[in-house]
Amino acid sequence: MIEVDALTKEFSRPDVRPGRFAGTRSLFTRARKVTRAVDGISFRIDAGELIGFLGPNGAGKSTTIKMLTGILVPTSGTVTVAGQVPWRDRRQNARTIGAVFGQRTQLWYDLPLRDSFGIIRDLYGMDAATYRTRLGEFTELLGLDEFIDTPVRSLSLGQRMRGDLVAAMLYAPPILYLDEPTVGLDVVAKGKIREFVAEINTRRGTTVVLTTHDMDDVERLCRRVIIIDHGVLLYEGDLESLKARYVTTRDIVVHATEFDLTSVASPFAEVLTAGPAKATLRFAPATTSTPKVVHDLTSRYPITDLSVLEPDLEDVIRQLYTERRTG
Amino acid sequence: MRERLTGVRGLYRAGYRSVLAYRADLWFGIAGLVIQATLTVVVWRVLYAGHDEVAGIDRSTAVSYAVLAAAIQAVIMPWQFSSLPFRVLRGQIGVDMMRPRSLISQNLAQAVGTMVGRLPIGVAGLLTGLALGGVQPPRSAAGLGLWVISMSLGIANILIVNLLVSMTAFWTLEIGGFMIVYRFATAFLSGALIPLWFMPGWLQPILGWLPFQAQMYAPLSIWFGTRDGVLGVLALQVGWVVVLFGLLQLVWRRAVHKVVVLGG
Ligand SMILES: Nc1ncnc2c1ncn2[C@@H]1O[C@H](COP(=O)(O)OP(=O)(O)OP(=O)(O)O)[C@@H](O)[C@H]1O
Ligand SMILES: [Mg+2]
Repeated sequence: MIEVDALTKEFSRPDVRPGRFAGTRSLFTRARKVTRAVDGISFRIDAGELIGFLGPNGAGKSTTIKMLTGILVPTSGTVTVAGQVPWRDRRQNARTIGAVFGQRTQLWYDLPLRDSFGIIRDLYGMDAATYRTRLGEFTELLGLDEFIDTPVRSLSLGQRMRGDLVAAMLYAPPILYLDEPTVGLDVVAKGKIREFVAEINTRRGTTVVLTTHDMDDVERLCRRVIIIDHGVLLYEGDLESLKARYVTTRDIVVHATEFDLTSVASPFAEVLTAGPAKATLRFAPATTSTPKVVHDLTSRYPITDLSVLEPDLEDVIRQLYTERRTG
Repeated sequence: MRERLTGVRGLYRAGYRSVLAYRADLWFGIAGLVIQATLTVVVWRVLYAGHDEVAGIDRSTAVSYAVLAAAIQAVIMPWQFSSLPFRVLRGQIGVDMMRPRSLISQNLAQAVGTMVGRLPIGVAGLLTGLALGGVQPPRSAAGLGLWVISMSLGIANILIVNLLVSMTAFWTLEIGGFMIVYRFATAFLSGALIPLWFMPGWLQPILGWLPFQAQMYAPLSIWFGTRDGVLGVLALQVGWVVVLFGLLQLVWRRAVHKVVVLGG
């Protein structure tokens, strides 16, 4: 569906050197400063996938998405989306893709949400019946009816984002790009948006490329992720192997009421913290199985409660990013 | 063609509804123009006191010209930039470029919509002028018909030039200075502020061949029937619209490679 090969994007802007008359000098100098935002990345995404496209701030995610949508022309490398070069066949491409950029809106600021949908209907030449059924369906799914007649400028961020999501999916494009669709939203709004994305991916088979800094989004929605930093590919593969590769230890938390856990110990795990009522131990699942550690602890101490902490994606990502920065 | 028009019909609607969304602005616009039209009539009459003609133009023609020009400017201004630079600055341009219609047709459709939304202001100004006896109606129905054609061509010219100039924003975001020069030039060259009759003789032939006079001066002179060779005037207007539209396409094709969608 989406094929990217050695994709590179450089931005150049006038190089303003600080100092006296910097502004005046910049009028006459032709020196330019080049930033390479995307540096030769390659990947492919199959039809029907819901992929997480991750990376720290300034990694080049938005720049890549802009090239995938055809609004930026690559400096070098190739992109094919559904068999087309997006920036060259821009108008053809427009019908294949939908996009939500969390930072800006495609809705008409001064008009009620409903008018924006009407304009999109005209732009994409949708027939009245399809438009009505689809809008009805989406309105229900995202609970738009409360604010569909409100001008976009008076909508809350979460309402606007829901409106944007509908605007992007109204003409049923086979591919949907989401660049930080949950940024700044509350838990309920995030939930609604995730539900909608999951629904269109499973029910309609829409291919979704999701960029987000919220690891909850990723865990709930994505099987496979692509991670980039400084414009280069760091990781491409499924989420589980990523965790397995980076999380080599697991933590277990035990509670006791009738016993002082301060002196807790185990041959299979290392004690991280130990208080009178609660202790945390760490073990390596590769060498010691979880049941073995659990059995060892429960058989020797009067434990009232026990939990094994799942590897946290947030930690994995943090580790991945910092490793890259320092190494 | 038909499909293309329905495609951008929504944007045309967006244009005029956006004007109507700010109803108070519209009312203030109407009130402002009524005052302006009244003052124009009064002031020009004073200016002409004691003269029958200035530069071969009689008083009532000069007053009518000033009022009509003001009414047209309230609807569409020759020196107004399109919303493009703003959309480039905000990164909104990315949204426009993801649509299945060309950026040019989207932009023009919306501009036409905005113009239609502002039409009531111009009509109010015109009616004020007529009521005060400051505006002479065209000499004949045919004259009115020719004016409608010429004005439409003038408007097409204005919309295209505005968009063309706005496309500078793809090359540089610092277009403030350029904008001032452009405004100043077109305000005079189009005949929107001062009828070209009053320009010095040596300048007139040059102005006559520039695209700007085809925006306001040409339709207004047809309204008053002060110009010979109406067909020649119309032909020149058509010529300019065709040339400018071609230029617009050319510039846009180069701009595509310069587009930087900010933010994200
Ligand atoms: N128009 C531009 N001119 C110059 N540099 C730019 C431009 N747009 C982006 N960059 C640079 O390219 C790099 C990548 O930016 P990009 O917006 O793609 O990052 P991102 O991964 O989306 O980050 P974030 O998570 O913060 O949104 C950054 O260093 C940014 O400063
Ligand atoms: Mg970004």
